[in-house]
Amino acid sequence: MIRIGLDVGGTFTDFTLLDDRTGALHFHKVPSTPDDPSEAIGLGLSGLLEMVGRRGAEVAFLAHGTTVATNMVVERRGAKTGLLTTRGFRDILEIGRQTRPNLYDYRDRNPEPIVPREHRYEITERLRFDGSIEKSLDTAELEAAVAALRAAGVEAVAVCFLHSYGDDAHEQAARAIVERSMPGCFLSLSSEVLPEFREFERTSTTAINAYVGPRMAAYCAKLETDLTALGLTCSAHTFHSNGGLVSMDTVRRFPVRTCLSGPAAGVVGGAVVAKTAGEPNVVTFDVGGTSTDVSLIRDTAPQSTSERQLAGYPIKTPMLDIHVIGAGGGSIAWIDPAGALKVGPQSAGAKPGPVAYGAGGAEPTVTDANLCLNRLSPGTMLSGRMQLDGDAASAAIERDIARPLGLSIEQAAHGILRIAVSNMSRAIRSVSTMQGYDLKDFTLMAFGGAGPLHASEVAIECGIPRIIVPREPGTMCARGMLLADVSFDFVRTVIRTVDDASWTEIREILKAMQADGDDWLSKEGIGDHDRRFRITLDTRYQGQNHEVPVDLAEIPDDGPDGFIGAFEATHRLTHGHAIDGRAIEIVNCRVQAVGIVPKAEPPMEKKSGDLAASVTAMRSVYFEHSGWLETPIYDRNTLPAEASLAGPAVVEEMSATTLILPRQSAWLDPAANLIVDISPDTTDAARHD
Amino acid sequence: MTDATSGPARALNDPVALEIFSNRLLSVTEDMGHTLVRASFSTNIKERKDCSVALFDGGGRLVAQASHVPLHLGSLMGGVDAVLRTYPRDAIQDGDAFVCNDPYLAGGTHMPDISIITPVFHEGAIRFFTANIAHHSDVGGSVPGSISGGARSVFEEGLRIPVVKLVKGGTLDRDLLRLIASNSRDPMERELDLQVQVSANNRGAAMAVALLRQMGTAETNDAIEDLLAYTQTRLLNRVAAMTDGESTFTSWLDDDGMGGDPVPIQSTVRSVGDRLSIDFTGSGPQARGAMNIPESALRASVYFSVKTLLDPQLLPNSGFFDAIEIIAPPGTIVGPEHPAAVGARSIGCNKVVRAIFGAFAALLPPDDAMAAGHDAIPAIVFSGPHRDRPEDFVYLETMGGGVGGSALHDGMDAVQVHMTNTSNLPVEALEHEYPLIVDEYCMVPDSGGAGRNRGGLAMARQIRAATDNIVFSVRSDGHMIAAPGAAGGKEGGKARLIRNYGRPDAEELPSKVARLALNAGDSMRLETCGGGGYGVPSDRPPEALAADLRSGKLSRERARHDYGSAAVKRAQTQKQR
Repeated sequence: MIRIGLDVGGTFTDFTLLDDRTGALHFHKVPSTPDDPSEAIGLGLSGLLEMVGRRGAEVAFLAHGTTVATNMVVERRGAKTGLLTTRGFRDILEIGRQTRPNLYDYRDRNPEPIVPREHRYEITERLRFDGSIEKSLDTAELEAAVAALRAAGVEAVAVCFLHSYGDDAHEQAARAIVERSMPGCFLSLSSEVLPEFREFERTSTTAINAYVGPRMAAYCAKLETDLTALGLTCSAHTFHSNGGLVSMDTVRRFPVRTCLSGPAAGVVGGAVVAKTAGEPNVVTFDVGGTSTDVSLIRDTAPQSTSERQLAGYPIKTPMLDIHVIGAGGGSIAWIDPAGALKVGPQSAGAKPGPVAYGAGGAEPTVTDANLCLNRLSPGTMLSGRMQLDGDAASAAIERDIARPLGLSIEQAAHGILRIAVSNMSRAIRSVSTMQGYDLKDFTLMAFGGAGPLHASEVAIECGIPRIIVPREPGTMCARGMLLADVSFDFVRTVIRTVDDASWTEIREILKAMQADGDDWLSKEGIGDHDRRFRITLDTRYQGQNHEVPVDLAEIPDDGPDGFIGAFEATHRLTHGHAIDGRAIEIVNCRVQAVGIVPKAEPPMEKKSGDLAASVTAMRSVYFEHSGWLETPIYDRNTLPAEASLAGPAVVEEMSATTLILPRQSAWLDPAANLIVDISPDTTDAARHD
Repeated sequence: MTDATSGPARALNDPVALEIFSNRLLSVTEDMGHTLVRASFSTNIKERKDCSVALFDGGGRLVAQASHVPLHLGSLMGGVDAVLRTYPRDAIQDGDAFVCNDPYLAGGTHMPDISIITPVFHEGAIRFFTANIAHHSDVGGSVPGSISGGARSVFEEGLRIPVVKLVKGGTLDRDLLRLIASNSRDPMERELDLQVQVSANNRGAAMAVALLRQMGTAETNDAIEDLLAYTQTRLLNRVAAMTDGESTFTSWLDDDGMGGDPVPIQSTVRSVGDRLSIDFTGSGPQARGAMNIPESALRASVYFSVKTLLDPQLLPNSGFFDAIEIIAPPGTIVGPEHPAAVGARSIGCNKVVRAIFGAFAALLPPDDAMAAGHDAIPAIVFSGPHRDRPEDFVYLETMGGGVGGSALHDGMDAVQVHMTNTSNLPVEALEHEYPLIVDEYCMVPDSGGAGRNRGGLAMARQIRAATDNIVFSVRSDGHMIAAPGAAGGKEGGKARLIRNYGRPDAEELPSKVARLALNAGDSMRLETCGGGGYGVPSDRPPEALAADLRSGKLSRERARHDYGSAAVKRAQTQKQR
């Protein structure tokens, strides 16, 4: 049987196919079709199946990552949405946290609220903090509001009442009325989408779920039809923001959970590849055309967070903690009026793209600089399916950068790369020091189309001792899909000071949540023995306003002492101290239900042969201190097993190019990952040669 | 804003290395900031991030700063100057660290902001200073929190710390630490947070030494010169693009914090060639209470204004700050003399910004002008017994309001303005923590000043006591004097404080109230100021007016009054399209 992972990106749709019989991994890439993403999916899938000579019916598993919901929010193309909220709080969604997005730039404005004020209705009802009723629900008002929303032609309705995470009765009453008066309308209740306290983030998440709901459902239907037409009989899974897979049915109910899934699959794939390679602590470094995504893997586990924004809107579902900066192959180099060379954050993107694409881009980019220095070959992109114009790239760099600054073309091009590397390095340092880690203890995992091209220099700048480059780094997200489990995150806010009585209550709540998780896993078709549960309690000292997540191996059957010890240890780890004698509060109960999917990549066949036979060309490549050096260009696909290479070297494959600096050494590990050592003396050599 | 095309372009030694060096410096300050926030104990530092970190060169020039609050811009410079003034170089040893907070003795901003300054030695000389400043929730004085609008001198505002050595040759002076901590109502937090401040500097120092080793001392010094020169060039390019001349604008505080007449803050901006000076001559007398603006806070307000109006990306360092001349006559509210109280400076700082923005308007390219906004930092404080434990609670909230309309946009609605940007406490979190109920949290319709581009709406927060024995205080402004419009725009709505809003016994109270007792069911509602409008209201596009009517941000009656019946009719036709 065969399994397929596919990732719909802004520029390309990537595919990875794993043949369980032979253990062979196949990679494929086609240009994306943003107007109808399923077009590129269909085209790519049929191309891929043809390439390996298999039929759709043989596909046993299909996982896909999509940015359909993400793009809908970014481009404001979601459904016309209404909001029902507690009287007195119509403007919660618009006031937010009362902050402005930029301390010093008033041109940088908060985005228009996802639901305009005229579609936000206040309903008389009010719960107290403990779930007791302060004012009962005025159903006549509710009926009138729903009638008004229907008259306004609203396609989706979000309901978010204060303290509804404690008691959902009022929100359920609203559901009944909306379903009766507006049949077929997409409905989101905050008590279902995110039963977690802090009203702005809950309202925002619920409203976005409604906003993307109708169109996401249409997309799912179209995709299912297309897959059936290709002869696929398996059901498709979709990748969510916290690094797992869910069924189409779950996506239809909670589409907001895919909104920040874009870069997450690469991190999941990176974590599995790194673990297999024996690297527990990794910085993932995913460089694409417009952005660089950085995340930390600690003890083989990607890190999660629930505090991210999309286009200025908070989305508070759990998601992998990925730091994104605007630096990539398309980042534009420019000289500011005070005479300093800058790179980005403006990007030429995929269209018009770098000057070398010949598609109308006029300003020199990072990719142009790589071509100018021969680090990138004009003919290897997508195995020659895309030709680049190196002369045009050099001419633009000479005109816009070298001449105005009085530098040689090489100095200018390398200056562009040094600054891009510096910007990327700052992001990596920021992510690691935010959590108090030392980069000397990490390995840099480079992927994305442009990651391996800059990794050596980034590792030197950051003091990271080693690089690992997986196979076909440009399709890592699609590969990550095949390495992910089915999972869903449940949360409930239950604020309790920890003592014996409340601990008993918390344990009961966790058991109930785990039972919900069990039900969900059944619906996803996961067998009993493949189910796992991850229990986390968001906890704080009394008086604090932020929580630390405390992981529990299972629901304990004894008193709270073990948990208290675990909280203190976690607090010490993340904050550097614990506070003796201060009362402890549990705030949120979290249960992640996980369905284990078979995914071990079987060992690949070992290639034998001569290293020299893998050299496809010798090329003059520019390096910072040595200048132009005749450099061997290797075809990664023909490198013999466990080959060792000496820098300078360039390693090319369909989706990426890896640069190895003079005096660095590299080798293929048993899983055919390329490992580059940045030992202290090569760092030194790179600086002083 | 447009990029300057003229002006003095000084060639850099290395236009490529500049950005790389700047990234390395910013990583040092980012790391210090992360360390400080991560390891701190108190809510103020950890959650509100009311702290800043900075790197100075061996000569005491500011090289880089990571500031989470504009109120701290440049505010460590006074402390470093005080260190160099107080201690001869040979009295500063490797492993020392200094502590200070006093606005008069050590360039501080107000007493709760305590600075730690650490010299960084390499090859036998001071090459850098690492420094950080953090708001401590209490440093003693007459009231909890150490900020009392009614304080009559700094002696009522808590412990005064001139520059003193807290760490000597690597050894922490525990006696001194205990002395400082003992003067606070929460000594444990002080003791712990001050030590965290010391270690954040040490971490920065280690990174600075690593940088010197990586680049070499001479190369590092060259890079610093380049960075400061580059920053100054960027600023002067922008100044040179301004209209030559001078312009004056006066903003008003409702009172000096102790009642009485409105107090003027007058700023005259002079721009001649690439020289920029800001002169506060004409400002009102020093306040009797604590609303005075000490030098360091005045500088922060000036730096904020210049950065915001001329170049929001400008790096905060001495290249920027040294290029601006500031004149503040002694004995005025912007030049208070020892021992005038300064604790409640923040409202005045925002009014200083209003005065500077107003004066700049005439000298900037037309697209860069902006009307006055909410321009206050009103603070409401509720205190009383906790619901379920013996201690008392203190809940403080600062509120935002409308941003002024600008030449390009409507003002943002209901956000923090200028010198602060702290978050609100979510209603659900507040009600869990305190015996209070929020009845309403909303924008105030009709509060945005009319104009071609409307001023932002004010916000209202109405909180009810759930039990007896709740005590309420407020320090607000803009209840008497609204945010004026610009270029023909109208003023924004005034702030107001109402007890028991909507009840028969409702009453409006003044902008400053201390220790008002509330019983269960009593509520307090503060409505802040709306932003001023920009441009004449009759130029407002019909579709914008239609959107305001549709959203209810503007009532039909008010629209007729401000924009005229004909315009409202046009907007309604628009609406039907």
